[in-house]
Amino acid sequence: MTSEKLFEESGLKQVTVWARGVYENKEARDVVVALTEAAAKEGKYVQAWENYVDLPDRIYVPVRAYGKISEQEIESRYVYENENPDIVALTEETLVKGVDILNGIKPGAVLVVNTKRPAEYLFKFIKNGTENLSSIVTVDANSLAKSIITLSGAEGATDASGIGKGMGAALAAAIVKATGIVQFETLLQIVGNKNAAKKAFETAKVVEVKTLIKAV
Amino acid sequence: MTVHFSKVPFAGTVPSPQTENEGMITGNWRTRRPILDADKCTDCQICWISCPDSCVNLSTANSSLTFNLKYCKGCGICNEVCPVGAISLVPELDFED
Repeated sequence: MTSEKLFEESGLKQVTVWARGVYENKEARDVVVALTEAAAKEGKYVQAWENYVDLPDRIYVPVRAYGKISEQEIESRYVYENENPDIVALTEETLVKGVDILNGIKPGAVLVVNTKRPAEYLFKFIKNGTENLSSIVTVDANSLAKSIITLSGAEGATDASGIGKGMGAALAAAIVKATGIVQFETLLQIVGNKNAAKKAFETAKVVEVKTLIKAV
Repeated sequence: MTVHFSKVPFAGTVPSPQTENEGMITGNWRTRRPILDADKCTDCQICWISCPDSCVNLSTANSSLTFNLKYCKGCGICNEVCPVGAISLVPELDFED
């Protein structure tokens, strides 16, 4: 067994959410926590945590939150970063520019972006990793709910503000629409802002990357 | 030991950085880019003195004030302090470069 395949688990899905420090750090955590809690309700094995070295108390710094969802028991539970994500989500559109968001994605990965702009426009900014990307999902989560700005829970202690009360609920719903990683009904039981989640589930646009490459 | 006071280093000072650290380039933190309206600018230099990252380059004989976009985090303080409203913040994705 090579070291690269040491942590390969067939049933494991990795979710990485990128966000901006302070402003959306809570929303990024909400997305992975909502998805993993919903998956746990469905009897799957899950993990959710944040990148320790990103230091989310710096305003606008790109930060990451991670989730793992698996049919089997997770063996790589002490790996601290998602090295090969299946789903990448951005709480803010500018992250496509200048941040290597698609680093290490698995073939068939999905990118979900909170944006008003069309996927064609965002695709122009992504420099690396698009050969493994299968689709881009756009959802205008900011129009459905506001970002909850708090550092409560950022250090892993009590999260006083609840799960999915802000635009993270909408982003999680868009991920569910695009990937079906959990049942949408289960997600609705977890998130606080159910209206935003429902509207995002209806309005999220899924665009195949194949069609984009031809257009460029 | 006798050293003239002018040769004694001032406490707490470190040499000025001579090279760039790849991990500390903060241009990709920016969501809004500062854009100067040179006609309104009065060269009062308040933005230059207010910028926490020293990303404002003063105007010269040949050019008006510019911003160092490699390090500008888009915090918007320059826009906030400008007394004549010459600096506006434009969404970063409106620019292709």
